[in-house]
Amino acid sequence: MNIRAHVSVVFHLDKCIGCHTCSVACKNIWTDREGSEYMWWNNVETKPGTGFPTQWEDQENYKGGWVLENDELKLKCQKSKLQGLLNLFYNPNMPGLEDYYEPWTYKYEDLFNAGPSDDQPTAVPISKITGEQINIESGPNWDDDLGGSNLYAKNDPNLENLSQEEKDLMLEIENIAMMYLPRICNHCANPSCVAACPSGAIYKRGEDGIVLINQDKCKGWRACISACPYKKIYYNWKTGKSEKCILCYPRLETGQPPACFHACVGRIRYLGVLLYDADRMPEAMKVADHSLVESQRSIFLDPHDPKIIEAAKANGISDEFIDAAQNSPVYKYVVEWKLALPLHIEYRTSPMLFYVPPLLPVMGKMDNGIYEHAKEAFFTSIEKARFSTKYLAGLLSAGNEEIITSVLKKLLAVRYFKRSEQLHDIDKGAVEAIMREANLTEKEAEEIYQMTSMPTVYERFVLPPLQREEAIETKLDPEVCKGCTGCGELNTPKRGL
Amino acid sequence: MHDYFLFIGLPYVALFSLIAGTVYRFNSKKFSISSLSSQFLEKEKLLWGSVPWHIGIITILGGHIVAFTMPSFLQALVSNVKILYTFEALGLTFALFAFCGLIILFVRRLRNARIQAVTSNMDLVILSLLTIQILLGILIASLYRWGASWSTHTLAPYIQSIFSFRPDITYITNMPFVVKAHIAVAWLIILLIPFSRLIHVFALPLEYLFRLPQIVVWNSRRQEESVITAQIESESRRFFLKAAFGITSGLILFITGIADKIIPFFRGPELSKGEKGELLKQKLQKMKATIKQKELETERLTKDFIYISDLKNLKTDEGIYFIDYQMKPALAFKGDNGLPILYSAKCTHLGCTVTNKVKEGALLCPCHVSHFNIKTGDVIDGPAPKPLPKVKHILMDANNHIVVNIDKSKLDEYKVYIVKGENT
Ligand code: HEM
Ligand code: SF4
Ligand code: FES
Repeated sequence: MNIRAHVSVVFHLDKCIGCHTCSVACKNIWTDREGSEYMWWNNVETKPGTGFPTQWEDQENYKGGWVLENDELKLKCQKSKLQGLLNLFYNPNMPGLEDYYEPWTYKYEDLFNAGPSDDQPTAVPISKITGEQINIESGPNWDDDLGGSNLYAKNDPNLENLSQEEKDLMLEIENIAMMYLPRICNHCANPSCVAACPSGAIYKRGEDGIVLINQDKCKGWRACISACPYKKIYYNWKTGKSEKCILCYPRLETGQPPACFHACVGRIRYLGVLLYDADRMPEAMKVADHSLVESQRSIFLDPHDPKIIEAAKANGISDEFIDAAQNSPVYKYVVEWKLALPLHIEYRTSPMLFYVPPLLPVMGKMDNGIYEHAKEAFFTSIEKARFSTKYLAGLLSAGNEEIITSVLKKLLAVRYFKRSEQLHDIDKGAVEAIMREANLTEKEAEEIYQMTSMPTVYERFVLPPLQREEAIETKLDPEVCKGCTGCGELNTPKRGL
Repeated sequence: MHDYFLFIGLPYVALFSLIAGTVYRFNSKKFSISSLSSQFLEKEKLLWGSVPWHIGIITILGGHIVAFTMPSFLQALVSNVKILYTFEALGLTFALFAFCGLIILFVRRLRNARIQAVTSNMDLVILSLLTIQILLGILIASLYRWGASWSTHTLAPYIQSIFSFRPDITYITNMPFVVKAHIAVAWLIILLIPFSRLIHVFALPLEYLFRLPQIVVWNSRRQEESVITAQIESESRRFFLKAAFGITSGLILFITGIADKIIPFFRGPELSKGEKGELLKQKLQKMKATIKQKELETERLTKDFIYISDLKNLKTDEGIYFIDYQMKPALAFKGDNGLPILYSAKCTHLGCTVTNKVKEGALLCPCHVSHFNIKTGDVIDGPAPKPLPKVKHILMDANNHIVVNIDKSKLDEYKVYIVKGENT
């Protein structure tokens, strides 16, 4: 057993209001430089929808992630390392600018410099790359809130597995439903970007599992761009280097949650430590699609088990980290309650960001042209939920509908339980039956409710101490290692000739 | 005069710049090293430009490197006319391939607004130089055919003279202008490599072939150590084998390359049939000599007397060489009294063999000019410290009886034998 700690994340989709505050917080800190304008390390997509970059889930096109071949995990974009080297000259599976959008600004000075005229002066959009006037044809969140859904939502790659009937139902105007899917880098436990990088510039930090790109080592070979199935590595066209979400490690190292977490209005984000057995990776990702969620869960270790604690300590994990793991909201959501699921685990990267699926209850329906509260049940039954479990299963459980159903049942049971407890308008016996079916105890239901609706900031973000300076500098000889720790040598990140 | 500048001065400036500049950039300006890919901004033309360009140029450069590092090997290959034709045709094809790709890349860079946004002046300089260079190359290939052959004894020695720090431009001073220009532009491009995007050639990530799929970096050394031990055991053995295989095959290639140069150096030039026969003959003679020596040795081990010569054959002014019981050369003379004189021919100074001609009553050791008295063996002059030792001998008569009382009249019948024992 080789125990490692991993800073991991849960997003509670029922709570996301799609306000993009997270995206903007991230953009303002990290990606407002030339060359990175188009990057959204954090973005919020509307589902059904094509996402960003468009149709990123279409791996036949982009060839991201791993595929299982004869019990071996192979990168989908390079069946052999030699192919990886041959793709250096031209990467056949890489999204281009048109799959994102051309970043633009407006010619604001026209507003001030316009002479007297009969018309209002306008500020025309100009490209942030060429400086020329452009027609804006796409942008970030172009299909936000199902805008232009006939054009965009119907191209959602996740709809492919659905029958025509189910598709029609989802896109029919009266039935149309949507959910938000905020995405950052998953800091996968079996990252394909790391494996694909020819220069070996991408790495996982041992202490916390954060996936980073060494900007000095990156040579702009672009293999990671297609290898990451989530398209969460972006190519900086100005510096010729790849960039990605860094889970705000400088903030984590000073005891603050990442900017998107901190800014999140819906408070949907949880951050905590998971202990896992690194020896079982990537073997755990070599099972059939429908068992992947279970298989991934099985590598997470119980931080309360004395044996695990001992083994963790033997591997150099500090008491504070183990403390954080014991109080981790992520452990509760993912392992104890089994509510949070990884996004598209069929790409087999073992993402360490988990989503609690949205319940999307039908609160009412049309009757004789009049919109009425649903009468038969307080909350909808899962069968009648607006999103078919099949669609959610395609997103969050590699097609295994049983997993989705059991999660939704639990979420529903918690609501019945709290409703009956606070308003006493649901029959106790019915609630008990529902709870039994969902395999939920009252204690658990109460805990889930507390963690979902009432958590304090310290319950949502249980940060382990990541004192990097201490970790490094106390062990190095200051004479030998001048300037090689901390910020290192400061070089302006300027594009080479 | 400008030949000296272009073909001796410039190359050394270029090589210095290449080495110093590349080392500096890889050490202190790492961030600036990148392929500077523009695929993100424009795909289609890049595909039709970059791929043929790189396939073409890498093959062509590979050919150049072979020609300059293993000219003898190449010469041997192209002495077969079919191979020469093939090389010539392939070279021209790949050059045209590269040229077309380069023109597409160049036009793309000049015409596409997005690509313009990431074009530096150095990019334009490099693209222009490369275009000129390839054009010159194609001109040479079409005007002065069979370059694969003539370059091996003109350009290759020139390049090698540069790299062995014994620059010699006589090989190329009489070359046509196009060839000279091609060489000069090549040095110019090499000079600019560290200051341009061409640095990406040295970033070729071959180590990728041998590394583990996952990379973990630790801030804490202590934690790293405990984890690494676990990891090495589980995963890396397979990759170690792969890496070992890769390194070995690399080494083998490298060694073959070096051996191609070194072996002929030690072995000397390839031998003709006659010379080979000569060599065989020499070997045979040496073997015969060895056999002879062994025979002599056994004879000396088994016999108490060994026949040297008939007394009548010995001369006073010229000795007969023979091998004494110490397996060292010795000399036999006839003295003025008609009796034999036998000396060890091993000089008492440093062991050279003394000559057998008697001049002015003395024997000469040719090594450091010691003279020995022929009558007594004493040193007349020279560095030898002691007289030549005398070899013990006896005479036998015609009936093979040891002669005890010498009968002066029968001297001609006597035979000289040496006797087992030390020389005195
Ligand atoms: C060693 C193997 C090589 C690799 C892996 C390699 C890779 C690359 C890559 C990835 C690009 C960027 C293409 C893009 O825009 O996406 C590039 C561009 C370029 N390479 Fe190479 N290259 C190699 C060798 C060479 C050699 C030997 C030369 C010529 C001496 C060369 C000359 C160029 C030039 C001139 C460009 C710029 C093309 C443009 O204008 O966009 N490369 N190379
Ligand atoms: S989501 Fe992050 S860790 Fe996973 S493959 Fe993409 S960039 Fe790498
Ligand atoms: S060996 Fe005879 S003189 Fe030196």
